[in-house]
Amino acid sequence: MIEAYKRDIDRTLIRENLKLSVEERFLKLMALQRFADELRRAGREARTRG
Amino acid sequence: MTDFAAVLRRLADGGVEFILVGGAAATAHGSARLTQDIDVVYRRSSENIARLVSALKAHTPYLRGAPPGLPFQWNARTIELGLNFTLTTDLGDVDLLGEIVGGGTYDDLLPYAVNIRVFGIECHCLGLERLIHVKRAAGRIKDLEAIAELQAILEQRSEEEQR
Repeated sequence: MIEAYKRDIDRTLIRENLKLSVEERFLKLMALQRFADELRRAGREARTRG
Repeated sequence: MTDFAAVLRRLADGGVEFILVGGAAATAHGSARLTQDIDVVYRRSSENIARLVSALKAHTPYLRGAPPGLPFQWNARTIELGLNFTLTTDLGDVDLLGEIVGGGTYDDLLPYAVNIRVFGIECHCLGLERLIHVKRAAGRIKDLEAIAELQAILEQRSEEEQR
């Protein structure tokens, strides 16, 4: 079953991440978290307005 | 948002014996998936529990998802009476695990840990092969994609090593 999921893995993202240091990978994760938080906030705001 | 740097610094500065596992460990190994919390397996010795309590005390740990006002006390007795704690703190969400399915305790996992240096902190992180093993053992549907990605990372690494 894992093999089926593996077909959809974006290996370009993996290759790019493996070029980064561990610290850079965490900084990227925290930036992604901030982006996700902002999207959630915007979604809440849109629902309130709608 | 979880401040991974601050959580790791508090634990390391407090002398807590822990191993980074879960999604944050996957990030350390190169995963591109978004994780919201930090999971650590901590050693269940009295001394280490005391250090853990002290390290996070100033950050108002509370049971995640629990209604406010529960008589939850962040102290060594609480940790000794429990095992795994999913917490909110003012540094973000932190899961403190005394034991994990397919991996066991801190002492069981330590031989499979690698040392990583991040944000100027040296800490243990569960090795990639063992991380895949414990995620498989957990048997959760939601982990299937994560396991597939970790296996792809493992393959990519060995391809790069062969070059």
